[in-house]
Amino acid sequence: MLKKLQNKISIYFILTALSCTCSLALAGCGHKTDNKTSSASNLESNSGNYEDTENAVHFDHKLEEYQPLKKKYNFYFTYKMVHPWWDAVALGIEDAAKQYEEAGTIINYEYLAPNAVSARNQIQHLKEAAGQNFDVIGVDVADTALVTPTINTLIEAGKKVMTFSSSDASKEDGCKRIAYVGNTHNYQDGADLTEALCEKLDYQGKVALLVGTKGAPCHEDRALGAQDVITKYPDMKIVETAYDEDSVENAYQYTQKFLAKHSDLDGIICCNMSNPVGAARAVIEAGREEKIMIVGMDHDQEALQYLRDGVIYALGVQDCYSIGFDTVQVAVKIADGLTPGEAYPEKTEEITTIIYQDGASAMLQTLYGEID
Amino acid sequence: MDLKEQKKQTITFAIWGGIIIATVLLVTTIWVSNNARIGTNQAVNQVSEFYLEELAGRRARVVSEDLKNSFMHMKSALEILDESNLKSQETLRSFLGKVRKLYNVDKFALVDDNGIVYTEHSTVSGLSRYSFLSEDLTKPVIRTSNLYGAKKQVILAMPVEDIFFQKSKIKVCFIQLNIDEMLSSLTLQTSDNETYCNLYYRNGASLTNSDFGRLEGGTNLLAALADADMGNGSSYTQLKDDFTNGRSGQTSFKYQGTQEDLCYLPVEGTNWMMTILIRDNVISNQISSISSEMMRHSIIQIIITVIAMLIVFLGLIHQSRKNAKLLLEQEKADGNRIRAALTQLEREQMAMKNIQAAMGSGPWSMEFNKKGEMISCTWTDTFRKMLGYESEGDFPNKLESWSDLIHIEDKDRIMEEYWDTVKDYTGQKTYDVQYQILTRDAGWRWFHSAGRLSRREDGSPITFVGLFVDINDEKEMAQQLEKQKTDLQDALAAAQHANKAKTTFLNNMSHDIRTPMNAIIGFTSLAAAHIDNTEQVQDYLAKITTSSNHLLSLINDVLDMSRIESGKVKIEEKETSLPEIMHDLKTIVQADITSKQLDFYIDTADVIHEHVLCDKLRLNQVLLNLLSNAMKFTKPGGIVSVRILEKGTASDGCVSYEFQIKDTGIGMSKEFQKHVFEPFEREKTSTISGIQGTGLGMAITKNIVDMMGGSISVSSEEGKGTTFTVSLQFKTHSGSVQQEAIPQLKGLRALVTDDDFNTCSSVTKMLSTIGMRPDWTTSGKEAVLRTKLAWEQNDNYAVYIIDWLMPDMNGVEVVRRIRRIIGEETPIIILTAYDWSDIEEEARKAGVTAFCSKPIFLSELREILEAPYAIQSAEIQTSENDNSFTGKKILLVEDNELNQEIAVEILQEAGFILDVADDGSVAVDKMKSAAPGQYDLILMDIQMPILNGYEATKQIRSLENPAFTDIPIIAMTANAFDEDKKAALDAGMNGHIAKPIDVPELMDLLKIMLNPV
Repeated sequence: MLKKLQNKISIYFILTALSCTCSLALAGCGHKTDNKTSSASNLESNSGNYEDTENAVHFDHKLEEYQPLKKKYNFYFTYKMVHPWWDAVALGIEDAAKQYEEAGTIINYEYLAPNAVSARNQIQHLKEAAGQNFDVIGVDVADTALVTPTINTLIEAGKKVMTFSSSDASKEDGCKRIAYVGNTHNYQDGADLTEALCEKLDYQGKVALLVGTKGAPCHEDRALGAQDVITKYPDMKIVETAYDEDSVENAYQYTQKFLAKHSDLDGIICCNMSNPVGAARAVIEAGREEKIMIVGMDHDQEALQYLRDGVIYALGVQDCYSIGFDTVQVAVKIADGLTPGEAYPEKTEEITTIIYQDGASAMLQTLYGEID
Repeated sequence: MDLKEQKKQTITFAIWGGIIIATVLLVTTIWVSNNARIGTNQAVNQVSEFYLEELAGRRARVVSEDLKNSFMHMKSALEILDESNLKSQETLRSFLGKVRKLYNVDKFALVDDNGIVYTEHSTVSGLSRYSFLSEDLTKPVIRTSNLYGAKKQVILAMPVEDIFFQKSKIKVCFIQLNIDEMLSSLTLQTSDNETYCNLYYRNGASLTNSDFGRLEGGTNLLAALADADMGNGSSYTQLKDDFTNGRSGQTSFKYQGTQEDLCYLPVEGTNWMMTILIRDNVISNQISSISSEMMRHSIIQIIITVIAMLIVFLGLIHQSRKNAKLLLEQEKADGNRIRAALTQLEREQMAMKNIQAAMGSGPWSMEFNKKGEMISCTWTDTFRKMLGYESEGDFPNKLESWSDLIHIEDKDRIMEEYWDTVKDYTGQKTYDVQYQILTRDAGWRWFHSAGRLSRREDGSPITFVGLFVDINDEKEMAQQLEKQKTDLQDALAAAQHANKAKTTFLNNMSHDIRTPMNAIIGFTSLAAAHIDNTEQVQDYLAKITTSSNHLLSLINDVLDMSRIESGKVKIEEKETSLPEIMHDLKTIVQADITSKQLDFYIDTADVIHEHVLCDKLRLNQVLLNLLSNAMKFTKPGGIVSVRILEKGTASDGCVSYEFQIKDTGIGMSKEFQKHVFEPFEREKTSTISGIQGTGLGMAITKNIVDMMGGSISVSSEEGKGTTFTVSLQFKTHSGSVQQEAIPQLKGLRALVTDDDFNTCSSVTKMLSTIGMRPDWTTSGKEAVLRTKLAWEQNDNYAVYIIDWLMPDMNGVEVVRRIRRIIGEETPIIILTAYDWSDIEEEARKAGVTAFCSKPIFLSELREILEAPYAIQSAEIQTSENDNSFTGKKILLVEDNELNQEIAVEILQEAGFILDVADDGSVAVDKMKSAAPGQYDLILMDIQMPILNGYEATKQIRSLENPAFTDIPIIAMTANAFDEDKKAALDAGMNGHIAKPIDVPELMDLLKIMLNPV
């Protein structure tokens, strides 16, 4: 009994220590102090703040005052896979290019990805791009371990390589890329969403974990964040984990299996954009939307509608538009030979905002112009 | 009822009247306004419905057209896309960029079968972003895209075939349009006018993010209106049904407390509905506003009207009182004025009568009815008396009494003037005429008549009153003065013309006579100086004769010149020898050439027709004029040359010639060259240099050349010289000169030596024509050398033709040296343009065989060479018929003693027996008493005292003695014109010879007359 108590105390101690560490980590992660970071995930309340929702995505970007040295730039961007999430990033890139054009600078770019995530394919693309005359090569790293050597080879060959959008390969990973623009807090996003779910479930119950692409740093980080939070609560348990490879269909099918297997399933944690859509479809189909709480990532219109309708409990919406817009700005500076420092940070962080049912309509209106 | 009571009643009546009228006006206005408001309301509603439908229809058509045009643009762009655009990513991007800008779209893209989207600046994976790319497009489609960031886009896509880019097949082409921008030109929202326009899907979803009335941007219309309060006659079911089936319609509803009207209709080619929404209060507020405004205006209008009426009433009353008072005072004043006016009028009428009597004018008057027809005519007694009539019985009061007497030349004009005045209803025209009229006693007389009309308001005449004044004496005096003036002007013009003619005449005389006269005087002096040398004197006399003949010709010409302008001068074509003309010309000018120390060249070129039909005198005159001018304007040491060229046969029997007269004189300015052939034109430099001239020479020359059917041109350069070129065409007379070879000379060599190349050329040609082998040289020394060479080669020259004056060696010296080489046998001919008499003796001693005068013609050269290489002495051939006139008897009728003496001398020398009569009457007497055969011929002067030649001839022809009726009578007179010849023949004479007497001509004529067979 004493041993059990000692164990309990030890667990609480560890959890408390972890919690403190996480808090410190959050503070040290460098979440932006401007309005972007201030609107990061809200752990205090599951009642979404409308103002936060309004600020979740910034469409009113204007180019910085920096004056490009050249009249024409040629960029190459490759990302994980063809998917609506990166289409949102693409819009930011497109608008930045337009603004540059209006200011007299032409931005030509390629923004390509395979239909399914493939690190090998990405390496192949990078090698091909290196043989062409691009000013900057941008990559949304599909697999840190596999792609980093290629990035380093290119850097050593004098090419200017940056990472962007969802996944970075950082110095810590041994990567020599010049800079990164995108989500720098995937672990925290996963943890925040899971914390919200736990709170909603009153810190007890069985949950399933849906992840995106295996090896994709962002997905894996979020999953890790989720797992760590669940670990905090002894009455919470991850009963299933599955990777949908960024396929809604896969997510749907995995969820069906979860539901079939666990009649007492209380929640599903989704780590990418396709996860919550597939999960919600399956839950609705099973008629268990009242029972099962879903939290997930990203701004898929269908997912937002499920959020509005109460099928999904919370969604972490990333500012993809800003990722795209800032990527182009940073790429221009890199092309002009500037190094990270005063001109631009080594990591340009973009925010994630957790929204709930009451903010869903506003988000739908903001992102898709949809009115109830 | 007294006046005060009546006045009170009137005022009361006026006040009540005003109140009733005002009330009626007010009630009527309110009623009309109310009806107007209701009517306006209905009309505006109807119009607004129609307006909404029209508005929505137009916008739907615009959207539909925009979409159609976009598809057309895509098709057009794909049609022009070629291999060059697909060569590389850069060329493709350039093409896509140009197309995008051209059609002003958000994006113009091509998509390959991997879903890669190519645009102006990007190459992106598009499968997830553009859902239609996963479809297998077989036809153009319209899609809308609700992009992240609420950017609503319309995408028009169409399938593409047979286009490949970098080994990928291009599958789709699409255009991306921003819906909000597309609709921006169609929106109607303003701050004051709440009218909206939007596009919806048939399920009610909004295509745009624009607000639509109370509906927020993006709201589903059908969902929103499900709870709306639909108006009368409108139903939600109907609206939804219309949307679902794409039908047009209108409905009204109350949404969020606002009454609104909605009009909708499908957009062709899409599943969209075009909607127009207008808030009811927009219309009703407008109507209320209009009605209130109308009502307010009407009330204000009524109040103003009533006040105005009251003011007018009061004003009228006040004015009527004032007018009555003024009227009374006016009547009094008018009475006084009328009386004074009548008195004045009587005085003026009396005065007028006195004036008319004093002026001797006769008044008349006519009266007209409203139609303008005359109803009476009154001629006063004074009027009648002026025309010689006493009473109305003689001269009735009707218009015809007067009009029938007007002179026929004036009548139409006067009557037209009369009626024009009467019918001029504007009253501006006045009647004021002068004309002749037949009076009873004094025949035709001039009168002045003037009158004015009084008219009615419409302008029709009432009374025409006028005066009639006798102006005959003034008129006659004016005509007399005019005639005198005309006579004086004619006289002045005639005098001026005569004076000008005289001046012209004198100028011509002065210019043209001086040149031959100079030759006559010069050679006369020379003859006197060489009086002992008979041969030389004969030569001088021959030249004097030539010049005299020319002078005589000129005198004739001068006389003829007066007739040139009247066209009486005629070109007389006679057989003429061109060599003779050229030699004569040279002879005439030779004296001047020598005295002016000029170098003179005269030569021919290609002349094979030497005898032509032309007016020798005129041709001579032309050439002499030009040559005289050339000499006149060339300084000593200068060169003057004359050249005649045959330019080939012009037409049947005609040959063209060109005469070039060239000098190295002072030349002419370009400006003067344009006027050189105009009368009295002289170059300024010639007047400054003091060179004499009238300025008529060139004009005369040009006239003559024109009359001969030729042309004359000039080319000149100041300080360098002038060339005149006369082109003429003559009939040939005796064919061309014999051109066969001279057998004795055929194939033999000849040498021509002359410093003038033209002479060398022309003589060489002539020698070739007669069969010789000519050489030529312009150097005397070279001639000697060539001779030596020929001698050494044993190919001697058979003939030498050498110029006399050459710059390097004198011709005589050349002959002398040649003779030393070749001996004495070969003929050497000196060719010269100068008089060789002074050097003849020396030349012959040097070895000259013969002399030949320039210009040499083919016939002359032939004659010389055919002769035994020696010139024959010019013996005067005596006529075979020298003695044929011996014993012939002539009656010479001549009043002038000097002429008698000359004629007697000439005729007696020819063998005639002469009897002389001093005038015509003596001649007639002599013939009357003459025995048959006493006279063989009569030479008759024309101008003689007592009886002139014509009359004398007539009388002789009318003598009874038949022996003398046919006697030849020849007019011998200074009356030398053609008309004089005709007059002589008309008078019965047989011939005409002009003075001064040309002896050979006279002899020829006498021979013909005395030997008619």
